[in-house]
Amino acid sequence: MNTDALVVVLTAGLLATACGLLGGFLVLRRQSLMSDAVSHAVLPGIVLVFLLTGSRAALPTILGATAVGVACVLGFEALRRTGLVRSDAAIALTFPALFSLGVIGVSRFASGAHLDLDTAIYGEITFAPLRTVAMGGLDVPRSLLVTGPAAVLTVLLVVLLWRPLQTSTLDPQFAEIVGLRGRLAQRVLLVASTAVAVVAFDNVGAVLVVAFFVVPAAAAHLLASRLGTMLILAVTIGWVSAVVGHWAAVRLDSSMSGTIGLATVVCFALARLLAPRRGLLWRRSLKARTALSLRRMQ
Amino acid sequence: MDRLIGLVPLPYPLAVVAVGTAVLGFVAGTLGPFAVLRGRSMFGDAMSHGTLPGVVVAFMVSGVKDPVASLVGAAVFAGLAALLMIGLERAGRTPPDAAIGIVLSASFTVGIVLLTRVSQGGDADQSGLDAYLFGQAAGLVVRDVELALWLGGLAVLAAVAALRLLRSATFDPQFAAVAGVPTWAVDVASTVLLAVAVVLGVRTVGVILMVAMLVAPAVAARQLTTRLSGMVALSGVIGAVTGVAGALLAGRTELPTGPVIVLLATAAALASILFAPRRGVVARLLRRRAAAAL
Repeated sequence: MNTDALVVVLTAGLLATACGLLGGFLVLRRQSLMSDAVSHAVLPGIVLVFLLTGSRAALPTILGATAVGVACVLGFEALRRTGLVRSDAAIALTFPALFSLGVIGVSRFASGAHLDLDTAIYGEITFAPLRTVAMGGLDVPRSLLVTGPAAVLTVLLVVLLWRPLQTSTLDPQFAEIVGLRGRLAQRVLLVASTAVAVVAFDNVGAVLVVAFFVVPAAAAHLLASRLGTMLILAVTIGWVSAVVGHWAAVRLDSSMSGTIGLATVVCFALARLLAPRRGLLWRRSLKARTALSLRRMQ
Repeated sequence: MDRLIGLVPLPYPLAVVAVGTAVLGFVAGTLGPFAVLRGRSMFGDAMSHGTLPGVVVAFMVSGVKDPVASLVGAAVFAGLAALLMIGLERAGRTPPDAAIGIVLSASFTVGIVLLTRVSQGGDADQSGLDAYLFGQAAGLVVRDVELALWLGGLAVLAAVAALRLLRSATFDPQFAAVAGVPTWAVDVASTVLLAVAVVLGVRTVGVILMVAMLVAPAVAARQLTTRLSGMVALSGVIGAVTGVAGALLAGRTELPTGPVIVLLATAAALASILFAPRRGVVARLLRRRAAAAL
């Protein structure tokens, strides 16, 4: 494996780590589509930061876009709390509006070389090795400088807040009773998810954000029965998809982000079919075996 | 058709776009309530992403950018996406919203992988397929409008004719099942109707924003009426009006059409949530204050 390939796989894998850990909680809390919504809603934030500062430096972009993403979540919460709109309709109402603002901003003020909508959507992970920052005489890829800390911080967050996150996800009422600050955990989870979605959007494109947040976690959900196992499996599936997807993309000469995303989907399909006890084929073969042994007994 | 467009007091190309967006807005607005009321608002999002591989496959099979072929391809794949979501939901363990996210990722990644293959072939005008993501209302021609009028008109008529069935399946699925309504058939039928709306609308506002065309008018209409028939009609009108207004406004300000239409529709929904006569947030606040004053 050459250096360029290593950078692509590491970028995707680090992001898959952060997304898989947070995605596990989102899937269990039935908030999977929050990642979809936020990944689109951050576009106006990125545009706004670009208009204000004239640059696409990593830190201000992440901070600004995260602020807009959090605003999207708050707007969605406010809509839901009126009791007039169901939560799925509230999501479907908030994020297209924000994305529209972003598209208008791009086409009006920032069209051209600086912000390219297509690459923002399709992802530009292929170019990750090319954008480097000089550090101590070494050319370090920018993507690793951002995704590395994102992954480390997410792991730290999940480890430090394990009890409140776990309890409020699996048994919200119990978490409230024992005073485990479930709502605080919820807020921290949403802000962290938004920040990670922004990092992912900026580095690999919107396609991979939903694929990384939802698909590995849902696949792991079919395979595991304990939260810890599920999260570790989700991260593993993410890394496997990064390696396999990259290999397949090079072999087939197709879109890097698209193929890595497709690899996560294939992992889910395999889990859906073959997972012990829960897989569809497993269930069918179990049924056949039971019928067979019943017939033998007669 | 030309006579109808001639009635519109606008320059010809603009009139085509205005009539086209009105028809598409009306169709999406009429069919949206059935998804919104069943808690399936985000179904439309996955289905509109599902049209992407459909269009690319249609192009790979037919070799030309034929509007009818791409419409059929898009419809087939949008329908497949919907069936896959329902299937994943039924298979258990995976929550419905995660099922939507999975199908959305699957269709979009397949679409992009296929798209890169097509554009490498060199015989494709990739920009034509690219415009699909963000929509291209300005590119509407008379043939598109005719197609939308026929197909959308049929779908709306079907929905109106089956309103009683759809109503019982929407509001009380258990009762409908007990009363002998074949709920799976109603499920399939309403999915097909949704697919028609999505497939027609995607051309104007694009894959990503399509879901707003289905949901925003329905949410706006919901606050103003308590009857399903009234909601469907009102939602259709709101969809048509925001469609035309958005297209004209976008043309005048030289902004992209899809986002302007979506912002107008969202504004209508928000205004309705705030100021609706009885259900609205402001009306409720005033009522509470009046009650407190007593």
